[in-house]
Amino acid sequence: MDFLVGWIAIVPSYATPLLLASLGLIVCERAGILNLGAEGLMAVGAMTGAVAVLSGFDPWAALAAGAAAGTALALLFGIATVVMRADHTLSGLAVVAIGLGVTGVVGRPYMQKTFPGIANFGELFGIERSSALGRILAVQDPVTLAMPVLVALLWWWLMRSGSGLRLRAVGENPAAADVAGIDVQVAQFGAVLVSGLLCGLAGAYLCVATSHVWVEGMVAARGWVAVALVIFARWNPARALVGALVFGSADALVPRLQAIGADIPVYLAMMLPYLLTLAVLVASAMAGRASGEPSFLGRVYLRQDKH
Amino acid sequence: MLDAAFLVRRQAPGLLLSSLCYAGGLAFGLAVSAALLVQAGVPAGALVDEFLIATFLTSDGLAQTLTAALPLVLVGLASAVAMRVRFWNIGVEGQLWLGALAATWIGIDGTGPDALRLPSMLLLSAVVGAAWIALPLALKIRFGVSEVISTLLLGSVAFLLVQHALFGAWRDPATGFPVTTAFAEAARFGSLGWGQLHGGLFVVMIAAVLVWFMLGHTRVGFYADAVGLNPKGARATGLPVSATIVGLVLLSGALSGLAGMIIVAGTEHRLNQSVGSGYLFSAIVIAYLARARPLWVVVVSLALGAVFTAGSVLKVFYGISEGMIVLVQGTVLISILMAQFFSTYSLSRPG
Repeated sequence: MDFLVGWIAIVPSYATPLLLASLGLIVCERAGILNLGAEGLMAVGAMTGAVAVLSGFDPWAALAAGAAAGTALALLFGIATVVMRADHTLSGLAVVAIGLGVTGVVGRPYMQKTFPGIANFGELFGIERSSALGRILAVQDPVTLAMPVLVALLWWWLMRSGSGLRLRAVGENPAAADVAGIDVQVAQFGAVLVSGLLCGLAGAYLCVATSHVWVEGMVAARGWVAVALVIFARWNPARALVGALVFGSADALVPRLQAIGADIPVYLAMMLPYLLTLAVLVASAMAGRASGEPSFLGRVYLRQDKH
Repeated sequence: MLDAAFLVRRQAPGLLLSSLCYAGGLAFGLAVSAALLVQAGVPAGALVDEFLIATFLTSDGLAQTLTAALPLVLVGLASAVAMRVRFWNIGVEGQLWLGALAATWIGIDGTGPDALRLPSMLLLSAVVGAAWIALPLALKIRFGVSEVISTLLLGSVAFLLVQHALFGAWRDPATGFPVTTAFAEAARFGSLGWGQLHGGLFVVMIAAVLVWFMLGHTRVGFYADAVGLNPKGARATGLPVSATIVGLVLLSGALSGLAGMIIVAGTEHRLNQSVGSGYLFSAIVIAYLARARPLWVVVVSLALGAVFTAGSVLKVFYGISEGMIVLVQGTVLISILMAQFFSTYSLSRPG
């Protein structure tokens, strides 16, 4: 029981960065741009968040700084893929390299210095940790609480609003969208920037809200898990919420098992999230046809080409 | 808005134009990287010294550059052969780690006759590397699972396996550090008497020549190009599409596995936590810059070997961090990717 409560309590903080990043990727990929750069965008967001807090900024400002840094790197990705029509896969990998490289170069003086994070509910509202519910609620933070709201808004915008429909049209059939008067490039560029914003925020959350310290490589393939999560979610924000909770639970299991002193081979247990991701990918692929993948994902649109 | 000027795809960009764009992108990427290094506190004069003179024009430097280039050639080839059939092998590092793990197993265990030690390490590392890519390959063929993610995830799994071994059964009993004990003499490549350069050079040369011959002078290269350009068309024509993909992708894993063996048996003589890091982006950058052509892979690997050599010197003298090499690779890659734009499209104002 004790173990279960401790586990449930930390799942949201593990799920939130995965969810933020995959929501960003969903918007981007719905516009037809395959974004494999999430790992780099998150790394830059995490490092910038840490640098901001350690430079004396408020943790909330640090989250915003991380989001801005992710957007800046996404700007480069957008110029490469949307304006210069470069290959999406290779551009995404270049963004990962640049993101990881920049954090290694710029962040070194800020490594392994702990700092205060954003206040959790226990501190904000003085929740008693006597009951199980109290213990779970006390460690939550405002960002995790905002997640269901963000998912609902994003789902409504993508699936029900006119501008969301236009964005999806660009990813499904840019030629038709073009004829209908939608500026394909502007829509794609905007979607790329949104993915940078949310991935940067995800990284900053990981650093500022969860770990309160920055070390090189702390994103630890979570960006790639987010990429996989998008496929699992079938490019649908509501399913991404479910997926993020599943992945977050697996991710949170290992530290909880260690915390209660379970005798498990640590590094083998750490493989669980990766293997789970793989299993989920296979399961989503087997589930079949209606994968929800935007038809034009990862392809270059040129008005003159016949599509 | 961004499409206001009419973009027209060029039918066949001329050799001059595409070389100019390639060179321009490369020059721009290198210039940005140089500016970053100067910004990080390396004097501009030292850059020329370290990157050109110390790495190619001194005997010690050239030996070091060649040694650093050996595993780079193998991972570059690994990435290139997979790229030829449009398979994104993002798990090069994982296959390399497992190759190193397999070689280490034989290297520290030391059973069997000495003469068979190195050959069995070579063979096992290649087999294990191929086996590690077989799973994502099967998942892609059978279920259509994107290999970009599956190979990468298995790369993380491979690294954790290495960690498990290093912090468990294989931890150095003398010091307690997470490194294995040093290999026996029989499990090391002999020194060639020039810097750190070792007998692995011959393995790499043979591998490069074989891949070059196979892709350039046998049907395999033709099949690979047909599959890469249009798999449906190739299948309709009756070409062995599946066999080509399977063969080249397994070869890709085997080459990565070999690279791991070359590192542990050639230079490190033990397994530690850093032997395989940094090779993923190098592999992709080499294969892309070399346009997946084996001979160019060797040339680009030598250049990148120089970057690695110079980088380790800069690290000591100017406190440049490991991340700088990754940053330079990413910058050069994206700059060349973007420069392609000018050779692929022409602008024509409507009206």
